[in-house]
Amino acid sequence: MDSQDLIRSARFRKEREADWQRLETLVRTAESKGLQRMAFADARDLAELYRQATTSLAIAREISLDKALLTYLEALTARAYLCVYAPQERLGGLFGRFLKRGAPEAMRRSWKFILLGFLFMTLGALAGYLLYFENNDWFYVFMPSEMASGRSPNATTESLRSSIYGHDSGTSGLGSFAAYLFSHNTRIAIFVFGLGVFACAPAILLTFYNGLILGAFFALHVDRGLGVDLAGWLSVHGVTELSAVCIACGGGLKLGSAVLFPGNRTRADALRHAGRDAVKLALVAALMLVAAALLESFARQLVQDMTSRFVIGWGVGALWLAWFAFGGRRLR
Amino acid sequence: MIGRFRKDRKDKRPSPDTLMPPEGVPLTLPIAGVGVRTAAQFTDIVLTSIAAISLLVLLGTLGLLGPQSMTAIAVLVFFCIGVPYYVLAELAWNGQTLGKRIMKIKVVAHDGGSLSAHSLVLRNLMKEAEVFLPGTLLLTLDTASPLETAASLIWIAIALLVPLCNRYRRRLGDMMAGTHVIHLPVPILLKDMAVEKPQVETDRKSFVFLSHQLDHYGAFELQTLETLLRSRNTPPATAVSRQTEAAIATIVEKIRKKIGYAEPVPPQDRIRFLQAFYNAQREHLEQRRLFGDRRENKHYAQTNGDS
Repeated sequence: MDSQDLIRSARFRKEREADWQRLETLVRTAESKGLQRMAFADARDLAELYRQATTSLAIAREISLDKALLTYLEALTARAYLCVYAPQERLGGLFGRFLKRGAPEAMRRSWKFILLGFLFMTLGALAGYLLYFENNDWFYVFMPSEMASGRSPNATTESLRSSIYGHDSGTSGLGSFAAYLFSHNTRIAIFVFGLGVFACAPAILLTFYNGLILGAFFALHVDRGLGVDLAGWLSVHGVTELSAVCIACGGGLKLGSAVLFPGNRTRADALRHAGRDAVKLALVAALMLVAAALLESFARQLVQDMTSRFVIGWGVGALWLAWFAFGGRRLR
Repeated sequence: MIGRFRKDRKDKRPSPDTLMPPEGVPLTLPIAGVGVRTAAQFTDIVLTSIAAISLLVLLGTLGLLGPQSMTAIAVLVFFCIGVPYYVLAELAWNGQTLGKRIMKIKVVAHDGGSLSAHSLVLRNLMKEAEVFLPGTLLLTLDTASPLETAASLIWIAIALLVPLCNRYRRRLGDMMAGTHVIHLPVPILLKDMAVEKPQVETDRKSFVFLSHQLDHYGAFELQTLETLLRSRNTPPATAVSRQTEAAIATIVEKIRKKIGYAEPVPPQDRIRFLQAFYNAQREHLEQRRLFGDRRENKHYAQTNGDS
């Protein structure tokens, strides 16, 4: 049959069919190998043929009643679209940008929420502290037994002191301890963050509860006259770790407040908007928890002097603060 | 009245299956349901657990490391097959994890742009609260504490209901990240029925249809006929073919009666008749379409009269 005899839509198809088939093979290679590893000419053709295919699809929808052609073009264009608009950033570049600019800027933008996180933690600690002095038994209510590891109101002052300055876990076990703490704490941070979306309450409660534990624990040691020593012991990693929990809480609060007070946006829209910064806060918290786990397992057991413990802990805290305050600012 | 108004508004919303890419030509990408996504999630969990356990067993049998380092590695490995695995897999494979690849579904940006790293990280961070936590709660349900059980069940219900209650089947993480999950379409190019050569010798006379005979059917009927002709081309089994023969005879008679085609069609020419009718009808309808007269089905005359 001569091409002149064909009806218009069949001619339309015949003229473009070769291009579509080439696009199909290109899409296959792009899907299996990835755009980065394709030859230059192929990648260029892929983008060009994709745009031609979208035009063909638009025309075919108007002029053609060939169902096979329409379904094929729909599927082909969609597949090509997914290849052409694939994320094209390298992982290294992503991390670099996050550390240099994204994270500190997000921290500065949401300082109010982070402050709220710290506030709830402090309130919790205060409550725990006061409750302990009211009645020692509150300690057992707050403290999960596996975390206390024998340090309860029943313990002698000597044993408390030795656990602060002792070599209770041998150096060989430090690595596993660090790994355990890291994955445990990171999950807590992700948790505090993820729960924030349910109208803030779970994130606030969790942070407050963390504060309660801290307060009761601190009160126990103040009661025995070991307050300053414990502060030193805690500062090594606690400055970083507790800040991380507060920051994760701040991220959660940001999400929760978007659900509660969406303003002029729809709730889904407000959530999406808040998510941009909140997710960065959660990642910062995770990063800080890695550092905290390292500090906790190595520095805390290896450094026994109280002043150097203070210096390490708060020095690291100051470094974090400097990163958040000055990171990503342009020099004038 | 109110009900009618609502219905009208509902019809005007674009179908959830369409996605508008920057080129401005809407694409059809069917939404993946909750079932297939759960299946993909299970596949992911099973695959990653198998990989993690076999890695640990391998390291254990090599016996290079002490028990304490082994626990450290185990904790790290099991942490990594959580959120980090999903984030990195979706970044590397353009919105697909292993389970999603097997189930042929994919994450796309809701607004039709390209997927950003930010949205992939966010939607998977939320997975912890939305998928893993309800899953663990479900496994650790304890009848001894009714309050906790009730709380867990409420949580699980929320996690399940959120995707069921919106048209795009998005979970909370999807909403925040601005993504949804679609089925990957499979492009298969079938032959154009209008180009098909008639399989009979040239000495037979060809069928000719007049313009008024082609005014009875619309696009829907044409495409149904197309499907029928296509299914004819696949090699038929004998019992089935006898049935289709009978069906085709009925269809030919019906068309003849409807369009007023006076001449009888001999049995050996039926397919040829249908093919010729398909060509003529398609050409006619496509021409009408160019003039702005879209005939969706055989009732086109009544629907046009209404509006």
